[in-house]
Amino acid sequence: MTQAETVLSVEGLFAQTASGPRLLGSSCARCKSAYFPRSESCHNPDCSDPEMQDAQFGPYGRLWSVTTQGYQPPAPVITQEPYSPYAVGFIDLDDQPLRVVSRLRTDSPDEVKVGCRVKLVLAPLGLDDEGREVVSWQFEPMENDE
Amino acid sequence: MGEVAVLGLGMHPWGKFPEKPLNDICRVAVEAALADANIRWRDIEAVAAASSRFSGGKGWGLNGNDIVEDMGSTGLPVYNMSAGCAAGANAFSVGYTMVKSGVHDVVLVVGGEKMPKGFIQTSGLEDPTDPEYLRQRCVGLPGPGFWALLTKQRMAQHGTTEEDLAAVCVKAHEIGTHNENARFRQLFTLEDVLNSNMVNDPLRLYEICPVSDGAAAIVICSEEYARRKTSHPIFVASTAVATARFDDGLPRGLACVPGTEGAHHSEARIAVAKALEGAGIGPKELDLVELQDNTVYYELAFPEEWGMCEPGESESLLHAGETRPNGRMPINPSGGFLSFGEATTAQGIFQICEVGWQLRGECGPRQVPGAQIGMAQSIGLGGNGTAVVLKR
Repeated sequence: MTQAETVLSVEGLFAQTASGPRLLGSSCARCKSAYFPRSESCHNPDCSDPEMQDAQFGPYGRLWSVTTQGYQPPAPVITQEPYSPYAVGFIDLDDQPLRVVSRLRTDSPDEVKVGCRVKLVLAPLGLDDEGREVVSWQFEPMENDE
Repeated sequence: MGEVAVLGLGMHPWGKFPEKPLNDICRVAVEAALADANIRWRDIEAVAAASSRFSGGKGWGLNGNDIVEDMGSTGLPVYNMSAGCAAGANAFSVGYTMVKSGVHDVVLVVGGEKMPKGFIQTSGLEDPTDPEYLRQRCVGLPGPGFWALLTKQRMAQHGTTEEDLAAVCVKAHEIGTHNENARFRQLFTLEDVLNSNMVNDPLRLYEICPVSDGAAAIVICSEEYARRKTSHPIFVASTAVATARFDDGLPRGLACVPGTEGAHHSEARIAVAKALEGAGIGPKELDLVELQDNTVYYELAFPEEWGMCEPGESESLLHAGETRPNGRMPINPSGGFLSFGEATTAQGIFQICEVGWQLRGECGPRQVPGAQIGMAQSIGLGGNGTAVVLKR
């Protein structure tokens, strides 16, 4: 079997950098609010003089909550075929004021616990209609949970 | 300025009616509200309608115009209000404001909906700047999963169990069996609920409200007008509309700041606080609440977030029967969304109808004894929140 062609879930939201995978967003230099994806404006109503800068987020965080997607959702969600339930969570990033929505990379979605340590990875969600592998950001539960 | 009265209440029962045109469903609700108010269609001076993206409205959300064309084109003004699932109560708030300010004397508030099959889907927009598209394309988190994440957090924080969640559903259906307008009127045991399919861990099929078809209509009018029609009018104590705060920590797109306030749905907390302030009462003084229970989680979380009880107290109140119609904190005496299913834009108006009927004392076995003041609450896509308080 030949290697499937790879596409990103959406361009410009994440990248493999010299220090590993990162989410690409913005940060307001004035009030420190963080945004993912990038934002041209600061949404903090108390920020009087916003100054937006590009920012990179990740890779470590803690799982705020988690669920297993028990049924196969319709397009545009990309899933494995045949369908295999996956875990989704909200992740609070370490040292960055950002709560991120993410799929979790794990073979045992029902075992993942609220509060566990997670690390950002770039990994395939499944294949699209044209048989291409769709890669997105995901978080992976860490072995040495603390 | 005088009070605003709720003069007429009408509903078409909730269900699935694939063969019945939306206009026919709406007409049943409108005619029932007119008859209840003892007025004719020609007496209506304006229409405030919930705007739908799922059905009717010529594809533009012009649902009020459909109703006017069907009932009789008198040339009256129509306001089509869009606020996702909060559209019904949003329209009610607009209607209320027009009567309160003296612009119109008699206004019809109406919402009708025929929902497509299955869980509510995304817009279908394939636009990489649309947060909902991004969330589905890059992650895959439909509505029930979002509710499940909130529920799982609650379990971690307060020790809520799967049995607690199922007990909310059992209680909703026990009450819903007494409501002739409800779609699901069968009793469930705890075991039935816990044996239903897991949809999004920890939420099971029976713990999530499905979509329904239905319509509800309300005639509101000035106090003076109401006094000519009835000796026992119900009044609007307050209405409030809000949107979500920047810092409530609930990611509505791909991410958000982690948040500082206790309420996850700030749009609901703000609307409720404003409505209670407008009514001049505290959260513990409500005789009943119709809240938006898309899933069992909300019936546990919302009363705490609004100060009706202490954080983590909802489960014990539920098990003690205090959230039943004859308890001290009655929640959803209609049977709630779990008994009705959600006819999205009609839903907020059905909730206000129920509060009105409760205050009139017309609810039979599901009646909250001696109800004097009650609230209806809804939230919708886009961070929309509403609350309406009615009083005797």
